[in-house]
Amino acid sequence: MSPGRKVFNEGLWSNNPIFVQVLGICSTLAVTNNLSNTLVMVLGVTFATAMGSFTLSLLKDLIPRKVRMIVQVLVLSFYVIIVDILLKAYQPAISKQLGPYVGLIITNCILMGRAEAFAAANKPGLSFLDGIANGLGYGWVLISIAFVRELLGFGTLLGLKVFGEGFTPWTIMVMAPSAFFLVALALWAANIFKAKAEAKAKVSKPKAPGTSALSGAASPAPAKQ
Amino acid sequence: MKLKKDSIGYVVVFTFIVCVAFVLLLSVANQVTLPQVKANQNYASHYAVLAAFRLADSSTPKSEIEELYASKVKELPVETSAADAAATRPALAASAAYSADIDGVSFLAVRITNPGLWGPITAILAADPAAERILGFEVLEQQETPGLGGRIGEAWFTEQFRGEKVNSDGRVIVAQGTGKGDLNPENSRVDAVTGASRTSDFVQILVAKALAAVKEIGGSI
Repeated sequence: MSPGRKVFNEGLWSNNPIFVQVLGICSTLAVTNNLSNTLVMVLGVTFATAMGSFTLSLLKDLIPRKVRMIVQVLVLSFYVIIVDILLKAYQPAISKQLGPYVGLIITNCILMGRAEAFAAANKPGLSFLDGIANGLGYGWVLISIAFVRELLGFGTLLGLKVFGEGFTPWTIMVMAPSAFFLVALALWAANIFKAKAEAKAKVSKPKAPGTSALSGAASPAPAKQ
Repeated sequence: MKLKKDSIGYVVVFTFIVCVAFVLLLSVANQVTLPQVKANQNYASHYAVLAAFRLADSSTPKSEIEELYASKVKELPVETSAADAAATRPALAASAAYSADIDGVSFLAVRITNPGLWGPITAILAADPAAERILGFEVLEQQETPGLGGRIGEAWFTEQFRGEKVNSDGRVIVAQGTGKGDLNPENSRVDAVTGASRTSDFVQILVAKALAAVKEIGGSI
């Protein structure tokens, strides 16, 4: 498997930031009761992760170890503020709806997680792809949760009415606890599915001696010394 | 020459250069988009005033907003004073006041800012000069929880205030109801946002202050 394909496979599925790394849960709880806010949050996180990882990977040989994390936070905040500035200028309605959550993208552990675990040891192009893959991996889980929450909580999708007047909204779906339940269900379903797939793969293709079954959560590509 | 990355001099110089470079880029991005951001803020403010006066809604073309505002809305002078003075003079709580004649009847609107759960809430409230009935209510800026308190800016919430009668205490109650919106304009009551009772309480206080400001300004003109 090519490195790029492997990175995408891991970000989207086998090392998914939500149900394997269990990162970015705060924003999963906060914004998923509205599909349009979720889409913007996903785009913001994907952009900031990809560009942040790319820039940090470019700078990695110059960054002193003592200030490594400070520089990572600085670079990631830079891209988050760029997202905020662009939304304020060109999408004021969405900027108004998301309020402080755009600025809080910096607290999303996926950004720092990928900067530290991947971009610090890989080439810029691959780090950029890793950021995109993890952003999309985070995105599809969030969008699935938002789909269920907005549909049942408001009876709408992207603000458009889906159910008729007789529909009684499920109030719990609007509130944060429903995101806990749905994230837990997603985690459970994904892990069951992965365990079954791995068991099936083991039966059909016995493991070659000296190879590991799964790549490490944080080491999708060999670290550059 | 090989760089000694862990020397204190390198760390200080590198950190300084990186900080300056990224802050500079942010400043440029901010300056480049500033006129657009200001234009957006102006548009949002004028649209909110027109919407509160029921002179515009989401179907009004964007290009007509400025023309409508200039022809229909009159900006009134407001007194400014220390925040604590607003406790005795409600009109001092308003940061701007507007009037508009609609079908021959005069209405007043105020722009008011009051604390919310996470930050200040700024809204426009229009009512008759005696503040006995609300004409319209629009939330201009808020920092409430997206999807919960943040829903005070949605049309279903603000529409509830349309034509709402103000009770004898000068208030409109924002309380838990069906969650679908209370459209009865005679009961001086609107539905709170489900799951955001604190934000709803703050809105109730803001509306009461805005009504008091309208009443005082209305009594003085």
